[in-house]
Amino acid sequence: MDKLVEAALGSFDNAARAEAKPYLLTRIRARMERGTESVWEKAGWFIGRPAVAFTGLCLVILINAMVFVFGNTPDKETKTEQVAQNPTDEFSYTVATIYDFENTQP
Amino acid sequence: MNQPELIAQLQRGDESAFTRLVDEYQDLVYNTALGIVQNEEDADDITQEVFVQVYQSVSSFRGDSKMSTWLYRITLGKALDHEKKKKRKKRFGVMQRLFTGEREDGLTAAEFNHPGIQLEQKENAAALFYALKQIPENQRIAFTLHKLEGRSYQEVAEIMNTSLYAVESLMGRAKGNLKKELEKYYAR
Repeated sequence: MDKLVEAALGSFDNAARAEAKPYLLTRIRARMERGTESVWEKAGWFIGRPAVAFTGLCLVILINAMVFVFGNTPDKETKTEQVAQNPTDEFSYTVATIYDFENTQP
Repeated sequence: MNQPELIAQLQRGDESAFTRLVDEYQDLVYNTALGIVQNEEDADDITQEVFVQVYQSVSSFRGDSKMSTWLYRITLGKALDHEKKKKRKKRFGVMQRLFTGEREDGLTAAEFNHPGIQLEQKENAAALFYALKQIPENQRIAFTLHKLEGRSYQEVAEIMNTSLYAVESLMGRAKGNLKKELEKYYAR
């Protein structure tokens, strides 16, 4: 085992440099003419980053949770309106009926 | 032609200077990228990207470091970025396979054959390349620059922008970790 490991560790000794493929300059020039990444490619790359994607997912879950928790409770304004309306209904002091207008005599 | 003259010509937008730069440094860039990404097509792609970046940003190069040091830094940055992108794609592929039920059919790193390695060393080198993928990034960079690119510890320190002592320490830890990984590799 030790011999194998030592042989592997020494396997880069006397290694020659790998040579680049031919016509590299032509390919570089072609790439420069094609231009750089578009805005959409850059945006896709940014959104695709694990940190950004995970944060986005957490935000969506958080917003959903907030809507679920706070969305079901009735509004304060509705409550106040109901409270204000209740005595009116109870004592009928604003109600004018046709009967009241027609019977003007005591 | 000396380096300041070449840089001055590049900064003036001299096309023949750029041709000379590519001719002179293409193997340095390609070999370094290949040592990191362990894939010839990817290394070729990175080599092109490096020279495009050099062409676009040579005006900001102040010449404080050697041209080769600058090129090594750009190459290593691009190669490591490429690795990260590939890992992200792999993670996404795992998720995709979970839903589609497909099986992975990619080659393992142990099958990588560096074209500059001597024939009788190919098998051992493939195991070493596999082990290199398992160790921390900075140890891998130091080991690749020293062993595959033949840079001295001092040059590695300049490229990695660190001290000679730090490189010695990185190399020591790299060898230790590689030994462990190779033992695991041969034991399976």
